[in-house]
Formats: sequence, C-alpha cells, structure tokens
Amino acid sequence: MADLEIRDLRVSVEGREILKGVSLDVSKGEVHAVMGPNGSGKSTLSQTLLGHPGYKVEGGRVRFKGQDILELTPDARSRLGLFLALQYPIVVPGITMNNFLRTALNAHRGYDGKDKSKSVSPKEFRTLVEPYLETLRIDRTFLSRYINEGFSGGEKKRAEILQMAVLQPEVAVLDETDSGLDIDSIKYVSEAINKMRGPELGVLMITHYTRILQFIKPDYVHVMVAGQVVESGGAEVADRLEREGYAQWGEEVA
Amino acid sequence: MPFTKESVEEIASLHEEPDWLRKRRREAFDVYERLDLPSKIDEEWRRVDFKGLKLDGFRSFEEPDGAAPGLPIEGAAGVLRQRGSAPGKVELDPELAAKGVVFLPLSQGAREHRDLVEKRLFSEVRADRDKFAAVHAALFSGGTLLYVPDFVEIEEPLVGQYWSSGGGAAVLPHTLIVAGKGAKFNYLDEFLSPSLDEPALTSGSAEIFLGEGAQVGYVALQKWGRHAYQFANQRVHVGKEATARLFNVTLGSRFAKVRVEANLQGPGGMAELKGIYFASEDQFFDFHTLQDHQVGQTTSDLLFKGALRGTSRTVYAGLIRIEKDSARSDAYQANRNLLLSKQAKAYSIPMLEIINNDVRCTHGATVGPIDAEHLFYLESRGIPKSVAQRMIVQGFFGEVADRIPFEQARRLVAEELEARLG
Repeated sequence: MADLEIRDLRVSVEGREILKGVSLDVSKGEVHAVMGPNGSGKSTLSQTLLGHPGYKVEGGRVRFKGQDILELTPDARSRLGLFLALQYPIVVPGITMNNFLRTALNAHRGYDGKDKSKSVSPKEFRTLVEPYLETLRIDRTFLSRYINEGFSGGEKKRAEILQMAVLQPEVAVLDETDSGLDIDSIKYVSEAINKMRGPELGVLMITHYTRILQFIKPDYVHVMVAGQVVESGGAEVADRLEREGYAQWGEEVA
Repeated sequence: MPFTKESVEEIASLHEEPDWLRKRRREAFDVYERLDLPSKIDEEWRRVDFKGLKLDGFRSFEEPDGAAPGLPIEGAAGVLRQRGSAPGKVELDPELAAKGVVFLPLSQGAREHRDLVEKRLFSEVRADRDKFAAVHAALFSGGTLLYVPDFVEIEEPLVGQYWSSGGGAAVLPHTLIVAGKGAKFNYLDEFLSPSLDEPALTSGSAEIFLGEGAQVGYVALQKWGRHAYQFANQRVHVGKEATARLFNVTLGSRFAKVRVEANLQGPGGMAELKGIYFASEDQFFDFHTLQDHQVGQTTSDLLFKGALRGTSRTVYAGLIRIEKDSARSDAYQANRNLLLSKQAKAYSIPMLEIINNDVRCTHGATVGPIDAEHLFYLESRGIPKSVAQRMIVQGFFGEVADRIPFEQARRLVAEELEARLG
C-alpha cells in the first residue's frame, strides 16, 4: 500500500467538474512528476490534497499513511506529514517569516503554548534553517520580513522550499514550483530538493515544462489531460513529451 | 441628575482654579445649555447610535476617593496619575524640571503658568463645536499641562494615567501639551476604568501645540470600562518644520465618538495620524479624522486599522482638506477594517476637499473578512485555524502598531491586543 493513495478522485470548482477520476500512488522514497497542459487540473489536484476550501470533492478517496484524509482540515493534513508548495505564494502582511516558520514547526511538534519542552528552541531552529538558507541562497534578513512581502517571484518559490525543509514532510506536493523561475533559482530549488530526497521523502512534482526534470530526475512521470491521468511511465514519458508535446492527446502543443 | 451651574462652581473650587478659568467653565456651560444634541440630519452624526445615552443621568464629577492606583510604566521621565475628578499627582525627573519642563495637573498649570495655558486651552478643541465638547469644557475633571521649552529633548516618555472608578459620573480629562521650538519628546495618555453596570460619561481630549521644528509623539490608549460613553477630541497644531505623530488606540467603552485632527499651520510641517481599534460584543466606535493643510508644503499620513467582532459597529470618516494656497502638499489616508464576525459592520467614508491642484493626495478604504487564502496558507503549514486567525489579526494590527512612536507604548498596546485576542 502506497503512503499516499489517490483513488478515482473527482473534484469540482464552482459547480464545474475539473478532476474526473484521478488515481495515483506516491510512496516515500519516490519522485513523481505530474505533467499536463494548462487547465488539465494539476493545480486542482494539489490544492485538493491539502484541503483548500474552494475545491469540492465529488467522489473518490485519498489515503495518507493509511488514513482517510479528505475529512481532515488542512492543518491536520500538514501535521500528518503532507506539504504543498504553492504555485503562487501569497503575501501575508504583519507576520514575519520567522514567526510563521516557528509557529508552524511548533504546531507540528504539538506545542500549544503550554508545554515548553515541546517548543522548538532558537538553537534547534537555526540548525534546521541555516543550511537551507545557504542552499536556496536566501538572505537571513528575509526571516525578519513579513511573509513573502517584497520577495521577487523566484524568492517566493525558494521560500516555499525553505518551509518544506523546516517542516520535513513525508510527502511533498510541489505545484509548478519551476514556473516563472530564472535558471539560477531552478538550480537552487533543485539542489535543495535533491538534498532532501531520500527514503523518508516522497515528492509529487506538478509541472508544465520538462526543464526542471533535468535537475530533479523523476522515478515516475504521469501525464494529465482534461482531469484524468492519461499515461504513466518512467522518465522516458517526459522525453517523449519534450519531443511531441501534448498533441497526441488532442491538446495544443504547449 | 442633570449637570448644573453649581457643579461647575464646585469642580472649579475643588481644583482651586483661577477666576479666568472659572469664567471659561461658566461660558462653556452656557454653550452646553444652549446647544441641542447633534441631529441625525448632520452627516457627521448620521450613523451614530447613542444607545440610550441620557446626558442628564450622570453626576457632574467623580468625588475624590483616594489616590489613583499606580500602574507601572517602566522608565518614564514623568508620570501624572489622576483618579476620578480629584487633582492628579505628579512625579517628574528633577533634571527635567531644572531644564524648565513644566508637568503639572492642568488646574495648577493654569494658576502658575497662565501665559502658557490661557490662550491655548480650548482654542483647538473648542467648546462650541458640539454639546459634548461643551460639557467637556465646562466640567473637565482636570488633566495635564506639559510644557517642554525650546530645544529640550526628552529621551523617555512622559505618561498621564487617568483612572475612574467607573460608575455614574462624568470623568473628563484634558491634556494640554506645548512643545517649544525644536523640542523632542513622547507622551502617553492612558485611560482606564472597570466595567460596571452604571453608565459613565468620559472623554480624553488633547490639544497639542508644536513650535517650529518640534518632534512630538503622542499615544492615547483608551481602556474605559464597557459602560462608558466616550466623546473625545484630539487635535494637534503643527508649526513650521514640525513633526507630530499621533497614535490613537481605542479598545474600551461601550460607545466612542472620537475626532483626531491635524491642523497643519507651518510649511514643512508633517502629521502622522495612526489608529487602532478593536471592537467586540455590542461596542460602537465612530472616528472622524481631519488632515487640514492650511499652508503649502505640508505632509500628512493617516492610517486607521480596525477589527470587529460580535455585533459591534464602527464608523470611520476622514477628510483631507487642502486650502487654496496650500500648493505642494502631500496627503495620504487609508482605513482598513477586518470583520471577524458576520454580524459586525464597519462603515468607511474617505473624503477629499481640495482647492489647490498642485498637490498629491491618495486615499483608500477596505472592509472585509479575513482573506481565505491567507488562512489556507497558514493552515496548510499545520497551524490550527484559531491560531492562524489570531496571527492574521495580530499581523493586521502589527503593521500599524510597529509605527507607535516609542517602545513602552508599543509593548503596552501589543499586550492589550494579545489579551483581547485571547
């Protein structure tokens, strides 16, 4: 049984069905790429996995570590070990990155403001953050700024990966982390993800382009078109996509 | 028990006030008797809900009943404590007194420094503005005179603490601040009372005068009890090249009608007007602000942020006025409201009155609930919804609270907000 099991998932947004029965298995130690043209439902899949309130599950199920998670709130899914790097990270005014990261990490540790022994110490926090600040080329001063405020597009995406490094999920969903990135940022992000890669981490990498796959080699590639997975295979699927585009599934070449 | 001429005499005697001030109280009382309650036809009062306010239901002042409780403020350069309508007690760093700094209960200031007080008192906050300003001028229960001479700079803040036992009386403190040329200091007014059943009438008005090049920070922290009706006017007169930073924090009272106004009278003058309000249950707050650019090359920057819970209601109305000859002025005004319950209502009404075109003016208003995307972002990182909501509200206020001009007040406000967010 896979750590993350998606079965026949059907999801609608504002009454329109976007996912029309998606099934995928992701286990720790594996890197999966989900590729597809715009509008194929890739982002719907990622947002639904974390329980975004704008997406309505019409059918199917999602199990994570043997637990049905569709009834869980987003924060409970996160604490269970699921992570989502947003396609468009947003600015949240007045909350520093530092406060955000520490509060999130404390929540994962079960610290609710009472039992101090469960809270992350400043030293431990530094030990977790510092190496990834370096890998991701994020200046330390970013931590005292408000969440994503004044960050460039690339910096926002890199900050998402920093959050992932701090929270150490078991399965991470990366929603078009590569889109809109300059080549340097893609390298830094890939370097950080490759550093985390290992038997304790599963990755579901959603992408439009094959470019990032040169840096992060996937074990499995799935093609999603019009709300369904139309093909699954190894890295060779991406190679074919690179040459032929999505035309073979009746889609315009991206 | 209506307010009477006799009570005016009584409070003047209690404070041993000079004849000129006694006379001024009497005149204000005549105005009070002459004026009607503001009409709902008047735009400023259209949305004001008096909620059963009975002006003749209050005792005229709160009889002296012991010393004001000391509330510790670390590292203040001077503290004035006043309980009810009894004259306040002052502590001032002797070094400052030696430099000519005057920090006194207002009535004592009127006796000993007539030159400072007579021409300024109720000149910016006028008694005839409305019936509530009139009763404040007629029956003000004391307050503070602070005078900082030319070029004197004070590192630590001065503090006024007003305490009312909270039941049934009018408690109407008045702050008069005079900053000499190039003077630099910060001041905190704190207003407190317990929440009792009996309604009280309160104010907390301030007149602040800045001489050329003066730099003054003023914070008013209103924590009157939940049965208080507050009517207050806080107004600053900004001279040439002077910088005023006014910060209003409204948390208490059942009802608050507050005006915060900057009268920009000297070129190069700058007024920063900031505000925080947090209304819950059935509280009603109404803020009217004025950025009055009387001369050119003046700057004003206003940001009022409020959060609402329960069935509370708030009104914000702000006017930027730029006079005909006030070219090259720069004015900014924004009001942001966060609705934390479906029943709460916030009205926001920005207004511009610009008679000169060579100016830069920006204004904006927002009213809305917590952004669902903000909430999802925090939740998706494992932060429970209730904690995420609290962080977002704290962050919402934090953006403006970080602009409180001095550390002691910043900390105090942060603690108050945290306690209220619970």
